[in-house]
Amino acid sequence: MGWWYPKRRIINVKGGIKAQSRKGGSGQNWWAMRWNQVLQEYDMGARLSRGRTYARKGQVKNITIRKGAVTASVYGSSRYDVEVKITVISDAEWKNIAKAIFARPAIATQLVAGKMPEGVNDVFTSLDMNLFPRIDDMETDCTCPDWANPCKHIAAVYLLLGEEFDRDPFLIFRLRGIKRAKLLMMAGVNGNTEPDRTEPHANTIALEADPSGFWGTVRDKSSARDVGNAIIPSIPAALVKQLGSFPFWRGNDNFLASMEEIYENASKMGTRVFLGEYSKDT
Amino acid sequence: MHILHAGILDGSPVLWAESSDVSEKQSRGNVRRYEFGARHHALQKAFKSIGITSKLFRSRAFIWLPTRRNGNPIPSVYLADGSSAAKPRLEQWAIDVIKMYNDDLMTLLCMVMGRQTIIPGIIVGADLQYISDVMRMAGAMVAGQQYLPDISKKDNRYTAAWSPVLTAGYSQRFEALANSMPGSVWAIHAKSTDKIPNDSPQGILLQLLTGFTSAIVRHSVKSKPVSSRFDSIHDSWMHKLTSPIHIAFAEPDAPQMLEQTRNWHRPITVLADSPLRLCFRLEEPDVDKRTWFIRYIIQSRDDPSLMMPAADAWKAKSPVLSTSQNIKEFLLASLGQASGIFPKISTGMDGSGATWTKGCAITKEDAYDFLTGQASALEQAGYGVMFPSEWTGKGTKTRIKLKADVKAPVMKAKGILDFNTVVSFAWEVAIGDKNMSIRELQRLANAKSPLVKIRGKWMLVNTEEIQQSIKFLKKKSKDMASIKDMIMMNLGNAGADGMSELASTDIEITSKDSQIKSILHRLNDKTLLSEAKHPDGFSGKLRPYQLRGLSWLSFLKEWGLGGCLADDMGLGKTIQILALLQERIGQSKGEPFLLVCPTSVISNWHREAERFTPHLDVMIHHGSDRMTGAKFAKSALGHDMIITSYGLLHRDIKSIKKAKWSGVILDEAQNIKNPQTKQSQAARTIDAECRFALTGTPVENNVGDLWAIMEFLNPGFLGTQASFKRNFFIPIQLMQDEDASTRLKRATGPFILRRLKTDKNVISDLPEKIENKVYCQLTKEQASLYAATLKTIQDAIDSEEGIKRKGIILSALAKLKQVCDHPAIFLKDNSGMTRSGGKERSGKVIRLTEMLSEVVEAGDSALVFTQFVEMGHMLKSHIQETFGREVLFLHGGTPRKRRDEMVKKFQDAGNAHASTTRIFVISLKAGGTGLNLTAANHVFHFDRWWNPAVEDQATDRAFRIGQKKNVQVHKMICGGTLEEKIDQMIELKKDVSRKVVGTGEGWLTEMSNEDLRSVLALSADAVSGTVEAD
Repeated sequence: MGWWYPKRRIINVKGGIKAQSRKGGSGQNWWAMRWNQVLQEYDMGARLSRGRTYARKGQVKNITIRKGAVTASVYGSSRYDVEVKITVISDAEWKNIAKAIFARPAIATQLVAGKMPEGVNDVFTSLDMNLFPRIDDMETDCTCPDWANPCKHIAAVYLLLGEEFDRDPFLIFRLRGIKRAKLLMMAGVNGNTEPDRTEPHANTIALEADPSGFWGTVRDKSSARDVGNAIIPSIPAALVKQLGSFPFWRGNDNFLASMEEIYENASKMGTRVFLGEYSKDT
Repeated sequence: MHILHAGILDGSPVLWAESSDVSEKQSRGNVRRYEFGARHHALQKAFKSIGITSKLFRSRAFIWLPTRRNGNPIPSVYLADGSSAAKPRLEQWAIDVIKMYNDDLMTLLCMVMGRQTIIPGIIVGADLQYISDVMRMAGAMVAGQQYLPDISKKDNRYTAAWSPVLTAGYSQRFEALANSMPGSVWAIHAKSTDKIPNDSPQGILLQLLTGFTSAIVRHSVKSKPVSSRFDSIHDSWMHKLTSPIHIAFAEPDAPQMLEQTRNWHRPITVLADSPLRLCFRLEEPDVDKRTWFIRYIIQSRDDPSLMMPAADAWKAKSPVLSTSQNIKEFLLASLGQASGIFPKISTGMDGSGATWTKGCAITKEDAYDFLTGQASALEQAGYGVMFPSEWTGKGTKTRIKLKADVKAPVMKAKGILDFNTVVSFAWEVAIGDKNMSIRELQRLANAKSPLVKIRGKWMLVNTEEIQQSIKFLKKKSKDMASIKDMIMMNLGNAGADGMSELASTDIEITSKDSQIKSILHRLNDKTLLSEAKHPDGFSGKLRPYQLRGLSWLSFLKEWGLGGCLADDMGLGKTIQILALLQERIGQSKGEPFLLVCPTSVISNWHREAERFTPHLDVMIHHGSDRMTGAKFAKSALGHDMIITSYGLLHRDIKSIKKAKWSGVILDEAQNIKNPQTKQSQAARTIDAECRFALTGTPVENNVGDLWAIMEFLNPGFLGTQASFKRNFFIPIQLMQDEDASTRLKRATGPFILRRLKTDKNVISDLPEKIENKVYCQLTKEQASLYAATLKTIQDAIDSEEGIKRKGIILSALAKLKQVCDHPAIFLKDNSGMTRSGGKERSGKVIRLTEMLSEVVEAGDSALVFTQFVEMGHMLKSHIQETFGREVLFLHGGTPRKRRDEMVKKFQDAGNAHASTTRIFVISLKAGGTGLNLTAANHVFHFDRWWNPAVEDQATDRAFRIGQKKNVQVHKMICGGTLEEKIDQMIELKKDVSRKVVGTGEGWLTEMSNEDLRSVLALSADAVSGTVEAD
């Protein structure tokens, strides 16, 4: 409890990273709970709920994840720098883990598809290891004057990380020392070369001088081009939902809720355009 | 005339046009200006004429065009003289281009859909149509939510964008679209250059598609104030994604944001961009086994016929599917994604070695879930789904069928059945073809497993439907109904009257009562139509198919049902209706029939009635001296048929409703297809015992137009316009729902009779050559010119003799014929096809245009003969502008080589695709001999040569050896003018001997002054009944 401190105004941060799950901060998924469990192990008292408020309000900016460490800036009554160091798992150990994961296709398929698989931690525990760090795997640091560690700033960063692992399980793998492609390679599944969507079509052709190919032919109804059908799906924004919220979302509005609204309205407009019924004046 | 074009300039669409007004030769810098390129002011005017009035942004550009060796550019088809060019090369030309706001562009591209012209004179270029198709694809993808928020980067400029995701079906469509991109789309550039464009159509298409996807999504967002200050880059991105106007995403962190976005997209794009796709094949259980199986199969996207079991691919035995992509990773990722939709994939994966790569075993209940929902969800997500052969498509679901056995009528009014007679029913329910008792149904409903094995066959039934039918059977709420309701139910329109809960259930009605049986039979199967008796006193011979048509019309009339006779042009819709009306003759008059038609065919109807049904009392309600109010109603009662126009139908509706009608007939009923128009609304308010619609266009294929016509024919039959849109229009237009389409066809089929010239049982009835006379009305301008010319001629004839007199008569004939054709060729003043404001000047042109539109609609080809070269020129450009397709024109001055090319082109088009309608205008003198134009099956004689031999010779261009179709000859005649009189004289003489008429028009000069005067005179009805007299 911080009641013996003089009450100070918290800096109003704009454009901070906001917890996206509706209840804020503490995700409902098992891995989020699992991750957050570490915080429960510390006796944080009200710091945890203050941290949750920070995460919800967007007091955290600039989370950076690299091998073995996370750094972030958190705004309380002033700006503080947070660092969370996590013990890295060695390559030799990763090799065993990779084999174990890919011996269980139910887990491997989820993981490769970018989802956090149920029971992934069982694979780790069977090898006497942990995907989710335990207290002694972590070292936390904050530049705030609070004597307690973890403080509410660390808690806020920690809670936000839990949400991101939901979206991209490989973030936690990365933190624990391995990248996606390397893990796949270790399992005998070569990580593919990523398609480069910025320049998808390198094959060019020269403009032709033949008049009929140049000008083209007008088609009538019987030879109209097949451009697909306008079928409005029953679940809105399914593609976005499949990807999950945007990484470290810092917008003021909830990302998925906004997307759902946009997609639903756009479907109606798309239908009008498809039918040729769009007119500026209607 | 303008041909609108669209192309890409700096990544976004620009518009330009070719114009028939050739501009003076000029250069911009050292680049010549394209002489057919419309200038900015002309472009602006053209856009204004189609309703695009907001700000347009002018700029100049350069375009590479195919150019002849002699340095002349080759314009697009409508301006080309058609001669082929030896080895053209690309040269650079200067043009004016226009950019418009996105909402204007979207409006324009919607206007273009499905059309060759926007308005007469504004023709759609192939590139504009192409870009409109790209937008349509974007529309489909936005509706289907196949896109993601994104950032696009071009020349280090970043923008917030919505990117299409090309999953399964779309990647193939995308490739097909890219491969059919006209060169003109990407031949434009901003600066003069010496490099011929070298680009990737796929890249250009993706850019266009992304642009339209973004534009459509942006325009669906409610407008909000533009802001420029954001709390974070994410807020800025979101704002710019949803802003209706395009704002640069110029944040310093944009490059990192782009990378993040692409990483975020990865799980979807990695599969969408893959050359492979995963398919799921449902397999039925072996006999006596309970488990179903879903097998995993890997398929090549480029060649869908290349498939292999995933298990083999996993073991890397993959000779057919060699790809750079790692198959193992692909399979893992695909299965992982798909398990989100069909969770059974991951259960049971663990444990049994590598068998999981084969597929998964599922229960019957799982199979049901898969069939009814997950399969289509998987398909939508881009996976392939395969069923055992008998399960394909919609056939997977076995419909429940209600059967009603109709007992004898409850009460017979005077022993005669009519529309309102009440009959009683006994209901039964069948699944597939097996009758089910309530108890059996109950058992099925309780089983909760809708996948049932009936007679050794797995069937998928809808439990909800079963429940409903049980409820219905128990209630027996509808065991009595009128014959009208019975007919509706029989046609699948149960929703009409208190049975909405069964709206989508198939209902089959049977009966042992012979009268009811015959009604049902005749409604359901038009082939059962017998030939009607040839009506007494009808002065004309009806062909067998026309007698069948008559019997159909009489049947509907008897039952007070409305019908649409939609026979092909030339099969004699008029004569069938007249034969129906002939039945009135000799009976007590009763109330008259009202016939509504376009003004241009009023006199045609009048004359055909005089010819075939001379005893029919016909009144024309048209012209400035027409009766109105009670006077009209009273006068109408004394006639058999009142003919009026659509314009007057709306204007005089009060008078028309004062009269009582035994029937209303709409000719050219496509005039009421838009239910919102005044004439359409007016038509629906007239009270009558029976209603008929005539049209030569295939209404049954145009779902959108069907409602208004059916609502006129049988009010309430297809439900309200809104429910029609919901039940039929949207499912059919948007989802290509075969089921809805079949239901609609079944419901409307009995009320539409359409025979084609090519139908087997019609063709045998038809002579190889059918001659029609087409009576046209003059316009006011034509009538007054005719009267004035007549006066000067008559003075001259009276005062001259001998050779001089003959000369005057021949030139008089020519002049009057010119007036009948078009005032402009008489005046020789280049005053144009229409007057300012688009007002028509020639009744014949109006009628020709109407008839050609049916020719075009049917994909037929036509020759149009005229004896005036100027008329030919005018017709060529008029037809071209109206229909937006190339029209050939041959006259005495055409070089031989060019003539041969045109003939070849015309004949080839006939052989190739049915949709390439060709129209060939020929000056009679040039085309009289030596040509073989058998690709045509319509011959129009726009004006008459008073010598049947000359006309026949022209007709024979089409009607000669090699002709496989029937040829229809349309001779156009202005009613009440010399054309009609001379035609009558020829008809009289033809029977005696052709020799009387000789080979020229000289015989006319032999007439006495008095005879001549009566021949040339303008009849009173031609003056009062001009086209404008509405």
